[in-house]
Amino acid sequence: MKKKLDLPHLITVLIIIAVYAGVFVMEQTMAPTSMIFTVLKKGATYALVAVSMNLLNGFTGIFSLGQAGFMLIGAYVFSIFTIPVDQRPIVYQYYNGGLIQFTMPFFLAMILGGLVAALFAFLIGLPVLRLKSDYLAIATLGFAEIIRTFFQWDKLGPITNGSNMLRLFPTFNDFNIRNANGEVVVYLSTLVPMIISGICIAIILLLINSTYGRAMRAIKDDEIAAEAMGIHLASHKQMAFCVSSFFAGVGGAMLAMYQTTVQAKSFTTAMTYEILLIVVIGGLGSVTGSVLASFLFVAASEWWLRFLDQKQYIGGHELPLMRNGFRLVVFSFIIMIVVLFFRQGIMGTKELPDLFRRKKTTEGGSAK
Amino acid sequence: MWNTVFPYLLSGISVGGQYALIAIGYTLVYGILRLINFAHGDVFMVAGIVMVYMAASGLPLWLCIILDLVATSIIGFAIERVAYKPLRTAPRMSIMISAIGVSYTLQNLVLYITGGLNQIYPKIPWISDSIKIGSATTKVVTVVTPILTILLVVALVLLINHTKVGMAMRAVSKDFETSQLMGININGVISVTFVIGSFLAGVGSVLYFTNYTTVIQTSGAMPGLKAFVAAVFGGIGSVPGAVIGAFIIGIAENIIKGLDIILFKAGLTSGPMGLAIFSDAFTFALLIIILAVKPTGLFGEKSIDKV
Amino acid sequence: MKDTVLQIENLTMQFGGVVAVDNFSMEINKGEIVALIGPNGAGKTTAFNAVTGVYQPTAGRITLLDENITGLRPDEVTLRGIARTFQNIRLFSSMTVFENVLTAHHLRRTAGLFSATFRLNKAEEKRMREDTDALLKKVDLYDLRDEMAVSLPYGKQRLLEIVRALATRPKLLLLDEPAAGMNPQETDELGEFIRRIRSEFDLTVFIIEHHMNLVMKISDRIYVIEFGKQIAEGTPEEIQNNQAVIDAYLGGGDEL
Repeated sequence: MKKKLDLPHLITVLIIIAVYAGVFVMEQTMAPTSMIFTVLKKGATYALVAVSMNLLNGFTGIFSLGQAGFMLIGAYVFSIFTIPVDQRPIVYQYYNGGLIQFTMPFFLAMILGGLVAALFAFLIGLPVLRLKSDYLAIATLGFAEIIRTFFQWDKLGPITNGSNMLRLFPTFNDFNIRNANGEVVVYLSTLVPMIISGICIAIILLLINSTYGRAMRAIKDDEIAAEAMGIHLASHKQMAFCVSSFFAGVGGAMLAMYQTTVQAKSFTTAMTYEILLIVVIGGLGSVTGSVLASFLFVAASEWWLRFLDQKQYIGGHELPLMRNGFRLVVFSFIIMIVVLFFRQGIMGTKELPDLFRRKKTTEGGSAK
Repeated sequence: MWNTVFPYLLSGISVGGQYALIAIGYTLVYGILRLINFAHGDVFMVAGIVMVYMAASGLPLWLCIILDLVATSIIGFAIERVAYKPLRTAPRMSIMISAIGVSYTLQNLVLYITGGLNQIYPKIPWISDSIKIGSATTKVVTVVTPILTILLVVALVLLINHTKVGMAMRAVSKDFETSQLMGININGVISVTFVIGSFLAGVGSVLYFTNYTTVIQTSGAMPGLKAFVAAVFGGIGSVPGAVIGAFIIGIAENIIKGLDIILFKAGLTSGPMGLAIFSDAFTFALLIIILAVKPTGLFGEKSIDKV
Repeated sequence: MKDTVLQIENLTMQFGGVVAVDNFSMEINKGEIVALIGPNGAGKTTAFNAVTGVYQPTAGRITLLDENITGLRPDEVTLRGIARTFQNIRLFSSMTVFENVLTAHHLRRTAGLFSATFRLNKAEEKRMREDTDALLKKVDLYDLRDEMAVSLPYGKQRLLEIVRALATRPKLLLLDEPAAGMNPQETDELGEFIRRIRSEFDLTVFIIEHHMNLVMKISDRIYVIEFGKQIAEGTPEEIQNNQAVIDAYLGGGDEL
């Protein structure tokens, strides 16, 4: 009766393999400057952060607005520990080359970034997770602002470089394999970030489908009933919060690699809002939705809707309204329409395999 | 020592008054809808932008101020009708997300209209003038703000306690469903609440931007958040609480801005500590502490959840 | 030989100035079905909430099988062997029937977060799923296994809530108005069901109910409270003939 892999899951696995294979082929054949790679890299980064936020907001029912803060921690820890020692005098020019004089492999630094973010989450979670939904939102938001200030504090400059930029650490382009002459032999600068993001999202999915994931969903559905089933609210919320922050930290490290520079002042509340809106567009409670929405959001804002920001002419007539900033206005209205009229988002609570499931032969069924 | 602290204290009281006018909007709306109106700070910012454009049109300034306040009230009313009313029965998270969406929309609209450039706020005669009080040189608005704030708050408290609308507001914030059953026009009360909140934010914006002189699409975010913290600090739902909270936060924030100099002059530090950047962070630290220690704030009422 | 499962001693619950439960004492012995009845607002659900840790008692002591459980958190109370249902059904709305019951097995997990995520607990997970299926079969809900819990008809939802509580393997089951909103036939079936699970799962049952036919049919003993105070205690026959009870119900306008 229990098959290891039913048809819908098989199709899903095939689609994912096809996507990765497609990206690999495109990378070897297309110009590396193509817009599609920008979208895929940033999309992969945002997908991870959005899924990690969905774990909290969509699956556990914790309305947290601290995502940018945890990304900041991940991004900083990553860049601080990966800037090559000989480059440090350049980066930390106002702090005599900085305090830290060693480097870590990028992979370890990324995990460390996640761990430090999770540690902060644990500490902040102790007082904050007891709060009711909206208070929790504002407290986590406040926490992110505090973090942002601390990382810019001049006295921490030898470590964080104060309000100055961190740079010259490994970036996505370093994933490309080069020959002895420095020419790129195999392009991997898009594929590797997608793989990292994919693995992290897979881990989150495993968690969601484990007994702990069920407990978290129970908390989202009804805290009082969950408690009555013997689920300790505080510890399970804490787990979700720490895991989510871990992956937000890893996502922050990826964002650092994508941007090639890191500066605390860019990790604003607006960034958290943007990620939250991605999660909502995708569907609170759908990992697939968050991933799709991330790529759509990035593609629309970086690529497809760019033309809205430029003056456009049709037959010599200038179109009205089109100028710098119009894209964001259009965007805002799309988001408001989704929020008000399509509250389920793209996917509702469905996942990719659900789309290939035929209506159940028995009556009713979970597919609504 | 006093001469060092006094100017910071003075501007703290002034900013506190401006926060108070914004905080009232948060506290009233939360009292009735249990909603953090994340867009409220942006309404405050839009009030500033509207003023800039009106003044540029050449209308007399006194008329601009009146029209600005009317426009801000209408914007507040419209936001509630468009973005919150359709979600009245939806889960609380949906309305909060909608509020965040409105905030995002308002900021992007202003970015588009202004081109993302700082707009110079019109110089309003008299309150923009400089005066000298003790050791501090400041603008008249610094002195006017706390006085005007107190007057408006007294008027508001009178309105809430002694008019029919005020009684309805109190009833709705006490028990939403029952008031509905008692025949209170819930939507009317909610609209009035948003109009009052936006109007006061409009007044706050005139005072605040006279002080800071420029407006940009992100100008509302930080004052908005701080005013919200003030409302929580004072006990959300309580108007006097919000006002007291706002003054405390305004003063604390400004003292921290001058803390480097104050500590140095007091002989406690030997050089600059760069503490001024913590003026915003302190507000949030205060928030987390108050929420951890006394989530109902200074004057908030305790509520028991029914099972 | 009496074997006390639950003992409530001098329980008082106060909210501000309102005394919802006033110096209330009772005990339930192993295998009994005991009902708590009284007019609306008499403090029945409040007493339940005090027992299950939703409220902290103002005063008094609650003992489960010789262990003091006063003031424990709800999840701790459940771990010690009290499961409950709710007056207004509280099923997990995003889950199927199967998942609802499966979630109730979480409290017996031994795997940590890491091993559960990386599927190092396969045997345990498998056992949870098998136990869930076995339980669903036993109570004839297996056909509805993959339906969304909240899409079930009302009576089935009430039933599922009881089954979900059973999955925590309680020693004492608290039912808060399980027959509310049921028609007479469903109510009869519910009565049968409660008796059946008592013997099959070796349970003790504590029930709040307004359907007097049901109460009189299944209860071994009945406690009656009014305004938070006990006004009578006894077998169904004794209660039916108790003048104080009759007055309370006639005065309260409730049907008896």
